[in-house]
Amino acid sequence: MDRKPLIQRKTSISYKTEEKTVLRGYNVSDLAEAGYTFVDALFVLFQGRIPAENEKKMLDYEIACFMEHSMSPSAVSAIGVMNGHPMLPPAVAAAISTFGGAHGPGAAHGYMMKKYLDRAANEGKTIEQVAKENVDEYMDAGLAVMGMGQPQHIDGDPRAHPIHLKHEELGVEGVYRKFQTAVENYFWERRAKEGKSYVGVNVVGAGNTALCDIGFAPYAAWTIGSVARGFSCACHALHQYKRARAWSASRSEPMVQMLDLSMIKYVGPEDREVPPLSERQAYAKKQLESGEWRKWVL
Amino acid sequence: MSDKMIINGVEKKGYTRDDRIAQMKFAQRKPHGNLADPRLRYDYLNREIGTLPPDTEREPFRWVSELAYKNIHRIVTRGWCTTELAEAGYGIVDYLFINWQARIPLEEERDVLDYCMVLGLEDGLSNPALIARLITRGKSYLTQACGGSVLAFGHSFASYDSTGKMILKYVGKVEEGMSLDEAAKLCVQECKKEAHFGISKLYAKDPTPKKLLDYAEKKLASIKKLRYVPFMKALEKAAKAEDSALCVDMIGALSATMLELEFTADGAWVLMGVTRAFAAGAHGLEEMEREGNDVLGQVLTPKEWYDGPADRPVPSLAERKGLAGAQSQEPKEWQANWKKRQELKGTGYSVDFVIEDPKKAAMKQHKKK
Repeated sequence: MDRKPLIQRKTSISYKTEEKTVLRGYNVSDLAEAGYTFVDALFVLFQGRIPAENEKKMLDYEIACFMEHSMSPSAVSAIGVMNGHPMLPPAVAAAISTFGGAHGPGAAHGYMMKKYLDRAANEGKTIEQVAKENVDEYMDAGLAVMGMGQPQHIDGDPRAHPIHLKHEELGVEGVYRKFQTAVENYFWERRAKEGKSYVGVNVVGAGNTALCDIGFAPYAAWTIGSVARGFSCACHALHQYKRARAWSASRSEPMVQMLDLSMIKYVGPEDREVPPLSERQAYAKKQLESGEWRKWVL
Repeated sequence: MSDKMIINGVEKKGYTRDDRIAQMKFAQRKPHGNLADPRLRYDYLNREIGTLPPDTEREPFRWVSELAYKNIHRIVTRGWCTTELAEAGYGIVDYLFINWQARIPLEEERDVLDYCMVLGLEDGLSNPALIARLITRGKSYLTQACGGSVLAFGHSFASYDSTGKMILKYVGKVEEGMSLDEAAKLCVQECKKEAHFGISKLYAKDPTPKKLLDYAEKKLASIKKLRYVPFMKALEKAAKAEDSALCVDMIGALSATMLELEFTADGAWVLMGVTRAFAAGAHGLEEMEREGNDVLGQVLTPKEWYDGPADRPVPSLAERKGLAGAQSQEPKEWQANWKKRQELKGTGYSVDFVIEDPKKAAMKQHKKK
């Protein structure tokens, strides 16, 4: 059997010989034998260090809270992909890939915190001052303040405040928690002054803050959260595969299915005759010149 | 009507009014951990259980699309029946215009897109092909290899969106009154170091991108006023003034041409990504036919390639108690720690991530609307 590496790369993450696999200097077998957990290993992987016990507890709590979120873009994607009965991995890959600009836990929240904390460090401002600037700059521009608001949990994400309390209880608070708290307080104060409704902190605002305080770079935090969700999405995909009908369109199911034909509402151009190829050039030229098609371009 | 949420005569603190909640059951729970903490926004010990009843005040859920619909006997895209289109003689390239732009293309436009797709199909053992081959080695479905290959299209490799948006920005300046040459010079100044610039030395000995621009110009000039191909040619000229070895590359030529065909920058990105996925399938097949599969644990990583922390003993769980955490309490201390953590790669601390100025992002959002 050919055991040569497929591509050549310098790496500081790990090496693997016929005798052992070494992660950031630690033999992975020794880590497991010594009683370290998967959560500990995530610290070794992304930070090259063994975490303090409370840091490990914080990460364990956060990813456990985050793993399942019922019908969110990630689970719906897994279910949608599984409707076609491919292998399971593509459904999970699609689910993990849904984490982007709108569906948390975005790295953007972490780097937003970094941007304003850098401002505090470089310009000698307090954390409260830069938190206020953050909220004002985003709200003045009509943008959502990252880490605040969730379209389903309109009274505040049920995971968020308990994560904040756990963060505090475990004593792993640092600059990120101070910053996030200042953002939340000023955000609520300003919305109240403007007569706007309450918008709670979301799981990104709470969870990402905790992950950054326990030493994860925002990108690493994003990876951990998104991939943790992959576990539950794999389960949603399995559920779709084993309990539901492929296609989700069957008429014999007692409930109208997701892909029943009646579920489609078409709002595109009216039905029209296909021009014969002999008339194509004249037809296409007239259509091109009319410009009406432009409003449909995606 | 009160905006307060009243359940059994008692106001539910921290609840937005939704009358459906009143139809639900509430359950008293034990106070685990911090869940009885009065600082929580609402009462975690007595929340409603079960799913929210259906919303009967709004239109029921349906999949809304301006792209296509189907009924029992007909499938329609942009108003045209797909079967009638095929029977009338329209082909896949025509369908791309119909699907993405809601119009039937002129024959010249169809020919140019066809040319682009031929060029975009294959690129040797570059990233999409390698991804497809690696996926196939795991004995996955071939579709996974094809799908995985599309993921190679990012903001550096095959960055049609970034290149397209760059071209749109500077052609916009021409439309605002700047001369073509001035706009091209400005683009060189501002974008020459970007991976998506579209001008490089990659095709110094391969005339394919230049030929594509010439073909697009020849085919399309008689039917419309060209904007993007002339800009790309002007950009090449402006870049050559700084370094004569520079010339238009594939991403530059294809992006300009796709814009000339009225595809959006985003549209071109994924259209070309899917085009390449066909070839990725062939690479996956060849890997199966010629190379075979890998099993977990098979592939070794030589220690000579490893430059991380030296081998070290795992501390006992008792020793762990003395370890310090990662928390910083002041911005200056935090900034110093951030820099120190950059020494270890694979942590994410050395990756640049630029948060856009909120004011600029707001302008973009308004444009989108």
